[in-house]
Amino acid sequence: MDVGFSMSNSVPGQEAPFERAKKVIQKFIQRQVFAENKDELALVLFGTDETKNPLAQDGQYQNICVHRHLMLPDFELLEEIENQLQPGSQHADWLDALVVCMDLLQKETMGKKYERLNIALLTDLNTPTCADQLDVIITNLKKAGITLQFFLTLHNFLPFPVDADEGADRGGDAASPRHPPHGGKGLSREQKQGLEMVKQVMTALDEEDGLDEVYTFSEAVEKLSIFKRIERRPMAWPCQLTIGSSLSIRIVGYKAVCEEKLKKTWAVVDAESHQKDDVKRETVYCLSDDNETEVQKDDTIQGFRYGSDIVPFSKVDQDQMKYKSDGKSFAVLGFAKQELINRHQFMGNQVVKVFAPREDEHAGVALSALIHALDSLKMVAIVRYAYDRRSNPQVGAAFPCIKEKYECLLYVQLPYMEDLRQFIFPSLENNKKFAPSEAQLSAVDSLINSMMLVEEGEDGKKEDIFKVNHISNPQFQRIFQCLHHRGVNPGAPLPPVDPWLKRILDRPEAVLAQSLHEEPNAKKLKLAEEDKFNLAEISEGNVTSVGSVNPAKDFRTLIQHKTIPYDQACEQLTHRMEQLLGNRSTDYYMKTITCIQAFREQSVKVSNAEVFNSYMQSLKKSVPDRSLQEFWDLLVQDALTLISKDEVESSTVSKQEADQFLMSEEKEEEAVIPIQDDAGDVDDLVSVIYGVKTVSLISGILLRHLYCAFCDLIFVIFFLHSWT
Amino acid sequence: MADWDAYYRNEDDEVEQEEGEESAGFGRDSLVFLVDASKEMFVKGEDGEPSNFDMTMQCVRSVYTSKIISSDKDLVALVFYGTEQSKNPRNSFKHVYVYHDLDSPGARRVQDIDSLRGEKGAQLAAETMGSGETSLGDALWCCSNLYSDIKLRLSHKRLMIFTCRDDPHGGDGTQDRQARTKAADLKETGVVIDLMHLNKPGGFDVSLFFCDVVSPPEDDSELGLQLEPCGKLEDLQKRVRAKEMKKRAQSRLTFSMGEGMNIAVGLYVLARTATKPPAVRLYRETNEPVRTKTRLFHTQNGSLLLPSDTKRAQVYGNKQIVMEKDEVDEIKKFDDPGLVLMGFKPMDRLKLHHHIRPTLFVYPEEDQVTGSSCVFTALLQKCSEKNVFALCKYTPRRNSPPRFVALVPQREVLDGQAQAVPPGFHAIFLPYADDIRTLDVHECPTASDEQVQKMKEIVHKLRFKYRSDAFENPVLQQHYRNLEALALDMLAPEAIEDFTMPKVQMMDERLGPLVQEFKDLVYPADYNPEGKTAVKRKPVIVSDKPKVEISEDELRTHMQKGTLGKLTVPVLKDACKQFGVRTTGTKKQELIDALIAQLST
Repeated sequence: MDVGFSMSNSVPGQEAPFERAKKVIQKFIQRQVFAENKDELALVLFGTDETKNPLAQDGQYQNICVHRHLMLPDFELLEEIENQLQPGSQHADWLDALVVCMDLLQKETMGKKYERLNIALLTDLNTPTCADQLDVIITNLKKAGITLQFFLTLHNFLPFPVDADEGADRGGDAASPRHPPHGGKGLSREQKQGLEMVKQVMTALDEEDGLDEVYTFSEAVEKLSIFKRIERRPMAWPCQLTIGSSLSIRIVGYKAVCEEKLKKTWAVVDAESHQKDDVKRETVYCLSDDNETEVQKDDTIQGFRYGSDIVPFSKVDQDQMKYKSDGKSFAVLGFAKQELINRHQFMGNQVVKVFAPREDEHAGVALSALIHALDSLKMVAIVRYAYDRRSNPQVGAAFPCIKEKYECLLYVQLPYMEDLRQFIFPSLENNKKFAPSEAQLSAVDSLINSMMLVEEGEDGKKEDIFKVNHISNPQFQRIFQCLHHRGVNPGAPLPPVDPWLKRILDRPEAVLAQSLHEEPNAKKLKLAEEDKFNLAEISEGNVTSVGSVNPAKDFRTLIQHKTIPYDQACEQLTHRMEQLLGNRSTDYYMKTITCIQAFREQSVKVSNAEVFNSYMQSLKKSVPDRSLQEFWDLLVQDALTLISKDEVESSTVSKQEADQFLMSEEKEEEAVIPIQDDAGDVDDLVSVIYGVKTVSLISGILLRHLYCAFCDLIFVIFFLHSWT
Repeated sequence: MADWDAYYRNEDDEVEQEEGEESAGFGRDSLVFLVDASKEMFVKGEDGEPSNFDMTMQCVRSVYTSKIISSDKDLVALVFYGTEQSKNPRNSFKHVYVYHDLDSPGARRVQDIDSLRGEKGAQLAAETMGSGETSLGDALWCCSNLYSDIKLRLSHKRLMIFTCRDDPHGGDGTQDRQARTKAADLKETGVVIDLMHLNKPGGFDVSLFFCDVVSPPEDDSELGLQLEPCGKLEDLQKRVRAKEMKKRAQSRLTFSMGEGMNIAVGLYVLARTATKPPAVRLYRETNEPVRTKTRLFHTQNGSLLLPSDTKRAQVYGNKQIVMEKDEVDEIKKFDDPGLVLMGFKPMDRLKLHHHIRPTLFVYPEEDQVTGSSCVFTALLQKCSEKNVFALCKYTPRRNSPPRFVALVPQREVLDGQAQAVPPGFHAIFLPYADDIRTLDVHECPTASDEQVQKMKEIVHKLRFKYRSDAFENPVLQQHYRNLEALALDMLAPEAIEDFTMPKVQMMDERLGPLVQEFKDLVYPADYNPEGKTAVKRKPVIVSDKPKVEISEDELRTHMQKGTLGKLTVPVLKDACKQFGVRTTGTKKQELIDALIAQLST
């Protein structure tokens, strides 16, 4: 890592390159620590004030420090970086530093077994570099098989043209699009020269993809934020596939898909000493009598329930009598049509890929014949699978799988009779009560179209824009984040979930884009808003008064749960409404409207028209004085009028009076918009959205906005339907 | 102390525990079989088909045994009506014979039923009960007494009438009326009455009498009564099974389709690996079950540690990191429980091999949020038409991290009038990047057309119609047969048929010379596919391996927690050496067993 003078120079509004490089390093080490693999790591700093490296002689290789020798990374290193790493006031040649690193790798890997040597170089390239021995360095890199990665900070621009989809492909989270090529504006002479050399080195090492290993810092932070996915060495399971008594094919199975768990679990430690050994777990057995008489373990025997009976059944007897399997097996029971295997009846928690052994060409041919036969007949092999003598046999399906590079069988467990539950559910589509209307169906149709997670790429191929199998398990990410945080700051509370982690778990922003709908007719859409019932809210139900955050919802809950008397709830609600109206802004008006909706709806439910009607009448009177005309117009649009006799018998207001209640007064607007019109608008909107296929990226906020509006809109359609 | 158990049981269990269904604390299910014992029931079918009575007994038996396996707390009773003899709690009813009181079924009861099956069973029934007059009213009254005599809280009460007589009282209006009144009383108390009508020469006319006795269908669409009588055992069992198990949602959640657009859905388990129930510990003297209590003590001063006296720790990068128990739970929290719609994808984006767990079934909960069914139906219909699945983020509980699921639409399929496939979405769990392992693929030669053709012939010969309910789990079956044998003091358990074993002989016969022909095509003469895989293991350089050692304490903790399996084989081997355990085995389990044997003495 370059810690030299220029690294502390920052562009206004940006972190200094030094700080950003530090972050990259931290993330990098943190990944290694939690991955707990055996990868060793050394840290070489250049541009330091002091010099500490074995090559420093005769004024050469100055200002380069081996901060840490090659060893397993640990928290100590993380803490050192956090607390001790300081920017230097010198500068050093990055090629010199590279040579020090090569030397270190060579010397410190002596006698060790390793798979790969890699040097990651973090710098802004802002130092004069002597290109003298560049070719020698390259040759030596090649000879030693050392790979290189560059992390550059050049005001965030990557100077090489790279395919646009490259970044997404490698990052896995599709969140780090490469920046467009940059003409080198704003770069210093050193940087330009440095870049040339980086290019030279990297293409010399790998002509094709060398430049892919050059990253910008922000790209790196993003990429490194994702902790390494858990990698496990696949365990080969050699066996024989048998068909009848005399046909067998040698195979090797590998677990290909399986829910991965963290290797480590939490140990219980004493709260004071933090010592595991201070805590002792003791299990005692006691009778179910009043005294809970304790009995010794030796005085107990094993038993099993058989319905109402409990049958004593010792372990020895059990082992004697239990089902015995003949050991590992992959025996074909028969062949069946693929369509008879239901995807939703896959059992177990893994998929096994079955190959022929690597060195056995004949087995390969035999297995290939089976795979191709099954594939062309659209069939599967139903097999008895037993992992070994001790494990329970399974019945499963082996599907043919033919890929460009390989062929294999995919084995999945299928259910036993005992595993299945034949439940009958009431019919939905044949039930008139639940049959959706045409409008509803078309709204859902549009919803689906607008939320497709595949996009047409430039080559006409559909691209998946939300690949779950590229997302790293957020649980692991989160726990590592917290462990790291707690490890470095033992006293501090846990941090919130990383924003980037939250983001990758959210709906992708690019579902559909078009600028037309910046202002969807929000007012009309709001009509349905308060009908949103949220299960969580209902079940929580611990609302005790009408709060200011969501008064309408609170009010509903209070009435529904009868927490407080109706009159009292109304009083609290009207109080909140008066507060809201005092603000005189559209947002608050909207909120008030939702309150009135709730007020009205609940009043109808409890058949009490009086409180609502009298409040509305007094509200209407106060409109001119409080200049609430804008608010009143909204009310009119939503057709929120008095509760009439038709709705609540005890009401003193007739239907006609109720209708006229909103119309009268000075403004002769078209007043109550018929509901059908509403629906018409909605339909138009839907078809517009549906019709537009342009996929242009606009800001996520806008999209979100649009999306929300869209959902509301669909809700309106449903609402209207149940209303009419 | 019960709380202690609950507190400590799963604390190191990072794995999400399977959720209990919502039955806990809501009482038990109960089921009464009310079986007609009239002469007509004993008439044998054509072509040696079993009599209606025999068929009913087989059906009752299978319910008994399945209850024992799947829900041993449920109560079941067997009552005969139309008998000559009478036997009921207060002997107040004539011609009603309570064979089994409402209780959870055990081995003895299964044996009782067995004795009523077949030719001998019919004889036994004739001897003990005989056939006599019929008063369904009395029979129903007697059943209602059975229910009221139960002190336990009953959650779901069901009564199934098995008969082949559509006019049990031969047109006696008073009797009919009395039966209807009693049926109404029963229904009043929450008992659901089903009719399992059996074959009657000339057809069973439900409208004559039974339509007023049975409970109305649970929803408008259920065609219940129009069903044909069951002529086959299989149909009867299917019908009984569908009714017998009360379906319960594993959980009820909000399905959020957008901001503010929430519907309620229930998640159901339609397939879950049935496992042997855990063993219970019994007191040697009395065979009564004992309870286990797990407590934590301070090693130094022996004081009892309360949950608040402990914290949780992990070691990474040579550093112990300590957190509160609450924090450990908190870390798992991302979102509130629910399903959140992310978007849609064409069905072909759902990969066959993306499988990590059995699926759940999603069905709307109209009771929770009105309108859910309508929205759900629209979504189901459109997804199915457009051949897409809905991708959702699924958070099962508070403090559980999210998983992504593919909601695959399944529209209702009727088989005649009965439902063959229910409408709803299957939630298929999708793997994260961590769950997919990188494999070095084996590149192998591809078979020639001729070879493939030969294999096709083989495949063709061994075709069969796969059915998911065709295979019984031999391990479970054996276990229960063993228990049955022990409970009934049988000399040996009844033999099981292992359906998982290939029928080798039959296969060989069907294939005939094909096998040899195929082998000639793919294998050279000197090739032996059964030969041991000649794996040339590289000699392991022992000196290179870092010494792994584990302290005795650590080992004991692992042992107590049953987590020895987490240690690697070299560690276990070293531990064996360290504690002077002699092992012959090299397998992990063998090492663990040896260690446990040594350390627990």
